[in-house]
Amino acid sequence: MRTSRRWTVLGITLLALMVAVGLTVSDMRLASSQTVTLVAKRSEAQVPADDPFDTVWSRANPVEVPLSAQTVVPPKAGGDRTITARALHDDERLYVLMEWEDDSEDSLVSSQTEFSDAAAVQFPVTPGETIPAFCMGDPNAPVNIWQWKAAWQTDIDEGFVDVEDTYPNASVDLYPFEDEDVFYPARALGNVFAQTERETPIDNLLAGSFGTLTQTSDQIVNGAGEWRDGHWRVLFAREMSVDGDYSQFAEGDSTNVAFAAWDGASDERDGMKSVSQFLTLEVSPDVAEGSGGVTVWIIVAVVLGAVALTLVLALYGRQRQRG
Amino acid sequence: MAQVYNWQLGREMDYRFEEAHPERQFAAVFNINRCIACQTCTMSCKSTWTFSRGQEFMWWNNVETKPYGGYPHHWDVKLLQLLEEANPGGQAWNSSQLGDRQPYGVYNGKTIFEAAADKGNEHALGYLPSDEEWTAPNIYEDTAMGAVGVPNESHLEATQLPEHKTWFFYLQRICNHCTYPGCIAACPRNAIYKRPEDGIVLIDQQRCRGYRKCVEQCPYKKPMYRPTTRVSEKCVACYPRVEGSDPLTGGLPMETRCVSTCIGKIRLQGLVRVEDGEWAEDRNNPLYFLTRVERVALPLYPQFGTEPNIYYIPPRWVPRPYLRQMFGPGVDEAIDRYTNPSRELLAVLQLFRASQTIIFRYAIEEGEKLEGTELFNDTAIGFDKNDNEVVRLSVREPFYERPQQFQNSI
Repeated sequence: MRTSRRWTVLGITLLALMVAVGLTVSDMRLASSQTVTLVAKRSEAQVPADDPFDTVWSRANPVEVPLSAQTVVPPKAGGDRTITARALHDDERLYVLMEWEDDSEDSLVSSQTEFSDAAAVQFPVTPGETIPAFCMGDPNAPVNIWQWKAAWQTDIDEGFVDVEDTYPNASVDLYPFEDEDVFYPARALGNVFAQTERETPIDNLLAGSFGTLTQTSDQIVNGAGEWRDGHWRVLFAREMSVDGDYSQFAEGDSTNVAFAAWDGASDERDGMKSVSQFLTLEVSPDVAEGSGGVTVWIIVAVVLGAVALTLVLALYGRQRQRG
Repeated sequence: MAQVYNWQLGREMDYRFEEAHPERQFAAVFNINRCIACQTCTMSCKSTWTFSRGQEFMWWNNVETKPYGGYPHHWDVKLLQLLEEANPGGQAWNSSQLGDRQPYGVYNGKTIFEAAADKGNEHALGYLPSDEEWTAPNIYEDTAMGAVGVPNESHLEATQLPEHKTWFFYLQRICNHCTYPGCIAACPRNAIYKRPEDGIVLIDQQRCRGYRKCVEQCPYKKPMYRPTTRVSEKCVACYPRVEGSDPLTGGLPMETRCVSTCIGKIRLQGLVRVEDGEWAEDRNNPLYFLTRVERVALPLYPQFGTEPNIYYIPPRWVPRPYLRQMFGPGVDEAIDRYTNPSRELLAVLQLFRASQTIIFRYAIEEGEKLEGTELFNDTAIGFDKNDNEVVRLSVREPFYERPQQFQNSI
């Protein structure tokens, strides 16, 4: 009996070791502080900017990033939440993928009390020794924010959602000067929120402290978000090098990245959100190897092998004891 | 939180921003006693500013029947309840010591800013009305107060002043262009601003991102969210008219659409001078005279703490506790003075809706005593911004008799 237990203990130790090896091999990391690095490896396969569920993403190393409520300035809200971040590049474009759990898909803003789910990534405009405040940057260390909104995604996927889509009988018989933008002042002034024909679900923004978030005239970030089975996956894509005072990326360089998520069902908007600290983002020359499918199968094989070995060892131990 | 002085509360109070004041302040006096709720003001505003897609539910000007009516539904009852919950039993005034800087005494309760500061999560107390609450803008029109505690029962006996048992009145509402706006405190984007030249509060349609914090935290519920542009809009005080840039004005400041179309002549709107953070003494500005000298016109729910700039001559027939809750402790004096007006007040009351041009100064020419009355037929003269006479009206309206030969002509 004693010998059998000894063999079982040995088996379990081996199993734990092999799982650890498996996790290391698959490069799954848990982020708990800003020392953790999100690595954007080079993808040799094409990364489609409109499909966050494309299989290419199984080649990117996931990092678990903890988010917490924004409690620095009113209005304060949000909560503890975890997102999974992945990143890739293809020499020309940088891709960042966010994934998080959300029970409800909140993608309409046509009623007075509806708010959209949203997600954002934030980079320092100038990477360097001074890391901006993770909440909206500093006046002398501004940040470039890319914000994706579920409502904008709906506009792109299904066409601009108008009042009549929510309340078919809300409209009246005649709207004078309907074609004149001046009676839609936000639209006339070029406010991206008021656009009826949207090209991207992602807003390119700059900020230099709370209350300074400013929409840029360059809507240069593409991407897409999709809600499946209680999960959002949102993909951000932008040219690594662009004109203008925005964050620039280059292979071999490092910068910082922070994440934020909004839950429309909880009336979250503006500063009412969950935010992360800054992580390091490394744009690596290494190639994102193999498909994730293979990686997963390696882990499965390793774990199954370990279980089998444990069983064999346990049986062997028992036989030896009987013998 | 900064400390700012709110003369309507007779004390300093917490506010998100440091005290700052415009050169002049947009202000108006609405005489509730005269309103017949014809809604001409409402429609003139609608046909000027909110006739487009996404604005169907928007009524920057509305007239609601009190006590039951409200747009959005029960907005004031809800706010009062939130204040009461935040500070149970504490919304009281001390009116024992009155003065120029505290004409109504001192408010000892909490404002929407102070009540929110206790929790620290928001800049002001508020709530976001639902779609349903924005519908039926004239709900409970002409519905009178019934017998308290007895459903579907009214007081049927004859009624008389000073207080009617069966009563209702019309409350005319536009944005108050507050001195300490809840919407400005609420906006996390600093997208709302108060104009330095006239104190008009506007939402920058380029900066707004439709977060609706202003809708939530304006206690008067006058910013509104527009689903077709995905941002919020509000009453703009017809600023092209007020600043005299509308071609129609001929370069002279002109009253807003809702004021200038008022057929009941209940409204008078203009600009008051501000010096050192307070209304400069300007005795012959009709707005200054009505609110600060005669004190017949009172702010709406001053306890909210935003220092609103639309002033109301309270209805004479409504139970005083209700009016004191709505207009503060100045109600009794205001009704007394309005009921027994001084010669000057009676003359100034003639200036309501006498001209589209904003009256910056008035003068009185004394007239004869009217036979059989205690009244004098004085003449009020209004002057525009350039001190040119624009209107002249006597207490006794001129009487015209149609000559016999035109008896049936139209």
